[in-house]
Amino acid sequence: MPPFEQTWLPFFYLYGVGGIFFLSGMIVIRKTGGINLEKRRHRYWWWVLIFGFFYFVLIHAALTFAALYL
Amino acid sequence: METYNSIGTSTDWIVMIVYFIGIMVFGSYFGKYNRTTTDFFFGGRRFAWWLIAMSIVATGVGSHSFIKYSAKGFEAGFSSTMTYMNDWFFLPFFIFGWLPIIVYTKIRSIPEYFEKRFSPATRFLATILLLLYMIGYVGIGFLTMGKAIIPLLPPSFELFGVQIQITLMGLVVVIAFIVGIYITYGGQTAVIFTDLAQGFILIFAGALIFTLGISYLGGFDIFWDLLPTEWKLPLANFNEPPGFNFVGIFWQDGVAGSVGFLFMNMGLLMRFMSCKSVDEGRKAAAFNILFMLPISAIVVGNAGWIGKAISLISPAVVSPNTDPDAIFVVVANVISHPGVFGFIMAALTAALMSTVDTLLNAIAAIYINDVHRPAKKWLSKKTQTWKEEDRQELFSARIATAFFTILGVLAVIPFSAFPTVYEAHGYFHSTLTPPLVVGIFFGIFWRRFTNTAVMSTFVGGVALMVLGMHYPVPLIQIFAHGTEYVPEHPYIYIGALYNLVACVLVAVLTTLTQNHQQKLIKQIKKMPNHRFIMISVSIAASILFAMIIFNLGSLPVLLGVIIILIFFIIIVSDYFFDYNEAEKTDGLTVWSLAKTKEYFKGSKINDAEGEKVKVCWRTKSGEDETINFSTTDMAKMKANIGDLVYLSDARNWLGGLKSVHSVYGEPHSESGIVYVTEEHIKQGQFIQNKLLSAEKEM
Repeated sequence: MPPFEQTWLPFFYLYGVGGIFFLSGMIVIRKTGGINLEKRRHRYWWWVLIFGFFYFVLIHAALTFAALYL
Repeated sequence: METYNSIGTSTDWIVMIVYFIGIMVFGSYFGKYNRTTTDFFFGGRRFAWWLIAMSIVATGVGSHSFIKYSAKGFEAGFSSTMTYMNDWFFLPFFIFGWLPIIVYTKIRSIPEYFEKRFSPATRFLATILLLLYMIGYVGIGFLTMGKAIIPLLPPSFELFGVQIQITLMGLVVVIAFIVGIYITYGGQTAVIFTDLAQGFILIFAGALIFTLGISYLGGFDIFWDLLPTEWKLPLANFNEPPGFNFVGIFWQDGVAGSVGFLFMNMGLLMRFMSCKSVDEGRKAAAFNILFMLPISAIVVGNAGWIGKAISLISPAVVSPNTDPDAIFVVVANVISHPGVFGFIMAALTAALMSTVDTLLNAIAAIYINDVHRPAKKWLSKKTQTWKEEDRQELFSARIATAFFTILGVLAVIPFSAFPTVYEAHGYFHSTLTPPLVVGIFFGIFWRRFTNTAVMSTFVGGVALMVLGMHYPVPLIQIFAHGTEYVPEHPYIYIGALYNLVACVLVAVLTTLTQNHQQKLIKQIKKMPNHRFIMISVSIAASILFAMIIFNLGSLPVLLGVIIILIFFIIIVSDYFFDYNEAEKTDGLTVWSLAKTKEYFKGSKINDAEGEKVKVCWRTKSGEDETINFSTTDMAKMKANIGDLVYLSDARNWLGGLKSVHSVYGEPHSESGIVYVTEEHIKQGQFIQNKLLSAEKEM
C-alpha cells in the first residue's frame, strides 16, 4: 500500500484548499450580486456550480479507491 | 536517453499532407465571414455554446498536451490527468465575474480593461506583461510541434549535393512559416471552425490510440494489472519528486494556471466573447470543464500509460529509457498501421497549429487594440473613414501576426533548455501569470483596489519574483511544503505559490495604506520643487529595479531595496496619476454588473423571459437600422422597442454562423415576418427562403 502522502493527502489538500477558493467564489458572486438567485436561470447555474464541485470530488475519490483496492 | 528518427512510412507522409491541405481549405472557406476587424478577431459574437465548447477542446488539448502529458504519463502514470481536473474551483469567479464584464464592457483586450479600471500607464504595463505571456505560449507551441515532428524526420538530408542537418530550431522556423501564412488569411472564424473539426478529430485520434494500445497489450485487464499501484493513482505524490509532485502542480497549474488560462488567455477569452450571449459562454465553459477536460485528460495522456505498460513487457519494443517527449510518437507508431499513424500525427500537428493560430490571432488583437490604435491616435491627425481605418487595421493585424510569429520562434530558445515541455510550460506559467492574475482578480472583485496598488503589484511583485529566482533558498523554500530543492528543478512548480503570495502581499498592503499615501502626497505637493523631486524618485526607482534584475547585492540588501522600490513606485504613481474610485469602478467590477449591462444595452434592461420565434425575412429600405417584427411576435418574445435581438438562421446545426445582433424597431402587423436591412443580410449571410430564429437578448 503506498503511503498516505501519495494516496489521500493530495486528495484532501486538493479539495480542502481548492474548496476554500471555490467557496470564496460562491460567496463573492452571491454577495456582489453577480449571481441573483431570484432569477430562474441563475438558480440553475448555482446548482450546476455545486454539482460540478462534488462531481470532481467523486471522480477523484473513485479513482483513488480503484487504484488501491481493484 | 534513447532518441528516434525517421519513424513512419511514405504512406503516413501522404496522409499527413492530404490532411493538412484539407484542413487549410476548410479553414480558408470561413475567411469570407471576416467583414470587419470585429469579425476577424471575435468572430462577430454570434456562435452557439456547443460550437465554442468543441473548438476550445482543440485549443486546449492541441496546444502541447499530447506531447507533455504523454511524457508525464510515461514517467508517473495516471496522475498526468490531474492538471485537467482542477479547473472547477475558479469557475464561479469566471462565469459570474469576469465573463460578463469582458462581454458587457465591450473591451477588446485585457489591457484595455486595465485602462478603463485603472489608468493608461497600467494599460501599458499590462500590455507588456500580456504580450510576454502570449509570445511565451506561442514559443511553447512551436517547441512542442518541433518535438512532435522531429522523430519522424531523418537526422539529415541531401539537397543539391549539400548535406543539411535537421535541427529542432531549423524545424521550428519552417513550422512557423506555414503557421504564419495560414493565420494571416484566416481570422477568428476560420480558427473557430478548423478547431471545431479538429476538436472532434483529436478526441477520435486519442481514443483510437487508447483502443489500439489496449488491443496491442491483450486487453484492459492485462493493462490494468501490469501497472504498479502508484501508477494508477489519480494524484501524484504530495511533495516528491521535485520534477513532478502534487502540491507544486496544484499551485502552478490548479491555481496560477487555471486563473491565468480563464482570466488572461486572450485566445480563450476571444472564444467566449464570440459566443452569442454571456449565458452561452457560461454553458461552453462549464461543459468544457465538466466533460471535455476529463475526456481530454485520458486522450492526451494514454499514449504514455500504454508506453509504460509496453516497456514493462517488451522493453525491446519501447525502451524504458525513451525520451519522454518522444513517447507519444513512438507509441503511436508501435500500435498503429501505416496510414493510421500518419492520420494520428496529422491530427496532432494540425491541432498544435490551431493552438498557435489562436494565440497569434489574440496577440494581433492586443497589438491592434493596445499598441496600434493608441499610437495612431497620438501620432496622426488625419481623419479616415470607418472603412479606410478598418482596412488599414486588418492589414496591420496581418503584419503584426508575422512579426509575433518570429518572436515566438525566438522564445523557443530558452524553453528548449528544459528537460521536458511539461517543465518548460510549468516554469513559464508560474513565473509570468501571477502579477497579471492578481491585477485582474483584485481589479474585478475588490472595489478598493487602486491604480497605485496595481502598479506596485506589477513592479514590486515582479521585483520580489525576480529575487525569488536569484534566491530560491530560502525565499521559495519557506513555501515549498517540504519539496526538495535541486538545481535542475529550482522549485519549478511551487515557485508559483511564492510568486502569488509576493504579488498579493504587495497588492493588499498598498491598497490598505492608501489614506496614509494621500496624506504624504499632500505634504510632497506643498514642497516648492515637488515635480523635480518626483522625477528624481522615478529615476531612482528604475535604478533600484535594475539592481534587483542584475542581482547587485546580497539577499538582505536586495530585500531592503525592494521595500524602498515599492515605496517609490507608490508615491510616484499617487503623484502622477489621478484615480477616482467611483468613476473607475462604475460598471467595471462585479459589484456593479447590473450597470455594466445597462451601459452595454444603452437603456434599462428588460429581463422578462420570452420565447424564441421563427420568422421569414424580407428586405426593407431606408436609413433605419433596426429590425422590425410583428406586434404578435414581439409579445411572444416579451420584447420592447429598443431591446436587443439576436437573429439567426433557424438551422441549429449551423451554430450561429449565419446570424446578426440588432435592435427591435417599430412593430408591424404581419405575423411571422421580419424586416431587415441589406446590411443585416450581408452580415448574417442569410439565404432567401430559409427561416430565421429570433430571440430577445436583453
